[in-house]
Amino acid sequence: MNPISIEGLTKVYRDKKRRRVTALQGLDLQIEAGEVFGFLGPNGAGKSTTIKTLVGQIQSTAGCAKLFGIAAGDPRARRRIGYLPENPSFYDFLTAKEYLSLVGRCFGMDRSAIERESERVLELVDLHPAAKRKIQGYSKGMVQRLGLAQTLLHDPDLFILDEPMSGLDPLGRALVKQVMIDLRRRGKTIFFSTHVTADVEAVCDRVAVLVGGKLQTVNRVSELLEKGIEGYVIQLPSATAGLWSDFEARPQSDDVCEVFVPRGKFNSFMAIAGREGVEVQLIEPRRRSIEQFFLEIVRRETE
Amino acid sequence: MPLPAVLLSAKRMSAHQFVALTLANLRMIIRDRVLHGVLGVAGVMLVLVPAFSSFSMRQSQEVAISLSLSAISLVLMVLTLLLGTSSIWRDIERRYTASIMTLPVSRVIYLLGKFAAMALFLLICAVILTAAGSLVVLLAATQYPSDLPISWGTIALAVLADLVKYLLLGGIAILLSTVSTSFFLPFFGTLAIYLAGSASQEVFEYVSGQFGQEIPALSLAAIKGTYYLLPNFAAFNFKVHAVYALQVQPGSVVFACIYAATYTGLLLILAAWSFNRRAL
Repeated sequence: MNPISIEGLTKVYRDKKRRRVTALQGLDLQIEAGEVFGFLGPNGAGKSTTIKTLVGQIQSTAGCAKLFGIAAGDPRARRRIGYLPENPSFYDFLTAKEYLSLVGRCFGMDRSAIERESERVLELVDLHPAAKRKIQGYSKGMVQRLGLAQTLLHDPDLFILDEPMSGLDPLGRALVKQVMIDLRRRGKTIFFSTHVTADVEAVCDRVAVLVGGKLQTVNRVSELLEKGIEGYVIQLPSATAGLWSDFEARPQSDDVCEVFVPRGKFNSFMAIAGREGVEVQLIEPRRRSIEQFFLEIVRRETE
Repeated sequence: MPLPAVLLSAKRMSAHQFVALTLANLRMIIRDRVLHGVLGVAGVMLVLVPAFSSFSMRQSQEVAISLSLSAISLVLMVLTLLLGTSSIWRDIERRYTASIMTLPVSRVIYLLGKFAAMALFLLICAVILTAAGSLVVLLAATQYPSDLPISWGTIALAVLADLVKYLLLGGIAILLSTVSTSFFLPFFGTLAIYLAGSASQEVFEYVSGQFGQEIPALSLAAIKGTYYLLPNFAAFNFKVHAVYALQVQPGSVVFACIYAATYTGLLLILAAWSFNRRAL
């Protein structure tokens, strides 16, 4: 049974003038156990609508969403998930420890487990020194880290994270990435939405792109990166520059020149280099980034 | 796991969640500085009671009881309005629901936790204020002894009836709070219903008498319909009994309790239905 199963999910809102606004249109998505799934899309694409439906905050107009086979609106479906909302807001009159205690009790954890796990997750997100301070005195980044801590408290099987890096400084972002990588290593499933394509490249197994409420594509990140290779930038001794007149070459320093070799000509280039006994100093693939891939899809769809 | 065990564990989990949410909400209420201010004003009002009751030298004890009960009632009403009308919509506006309602908590449990926290706080306040009011009454009665005895039981009953009345009012406030996106509808709606519900018995008796014969049948039906629809807060008024140490008919107490339980229960069911349909 897949951690997340979405079939034909559609959400139509009424705006203030009672006009119909389609936020999500026939979304089909299956998230498999143990994968890190990135959900990319521009603002208003329907990412948050999808996530809100999954966690039971809104009801779909048509279609269905299930978490571990249980309908998404059912509170039982949320027992095995850890959810971090976008720009989270917690009961700010409580301290972090009190809030985690509330979360633990809502998940049916006993007192000693709550105590032990609270210590662990607060330590993990570097909030231990502020654990007994009221949340209302926290910075945005601290609230975000507390949000991550409360998703980890009951050690769920599925993490649903809505813009988890939002509001974090570089240290915080690195921490979240590391937590996500550790969770993947432990076989947990992560479904997260983001605007930041570099985060997708860093941690995701698969990525879906949503534009205008419609699913555009679902790809393996590794395949995208592999397919996106346009050629190779190769550094060679500058004395050999004359051999590469068929390629785009430019001097890098007095001793080194840099040659761009298109993907299809790589083998013939290497054959020449081997034949002439040229010492290749560096080979780096030049690839289209996930960002370019994402922008192309968005541009195509909006045109 | 066999089905009865699953159901039992689900029930136990709901009970855990209910207690946890009630305590968290109670903590929120107790840490609210506005409510500290209201309770401070209540203290000042009660402290002033002996001085005001001494203006009526012949009935100092009766006036002290009346003023104390009125002060307690007023404070409980203000607390109910502040707590009930700022409950659900404010949690949605502050996006607390985006974090709490995504835990495995049903919306019904969440709503009941809010109501229970309010009820507990009102109960605590009623007990403290009654104790303070009793001291004040005792002081006034010692200064100018009355021919009437002080019926402590009836005084406690009057406060308890007020408490039950405000729980019902709290139910109205929470219901309006589930459909609202701001302070206005829950606050003014609850206040309007409170004022109408407090006067409805008198209006009903008035139109049921001779004056009612001059009113068109349709208007009369509308007035009577409104009377039956609105909560009748007059049913919870035992102040006169407390002031003059009159005996309270057990039937009226039982009726008030059943009436309040039924009405409040219906309000909470409606509130849960409405909140369940709301997009957060």
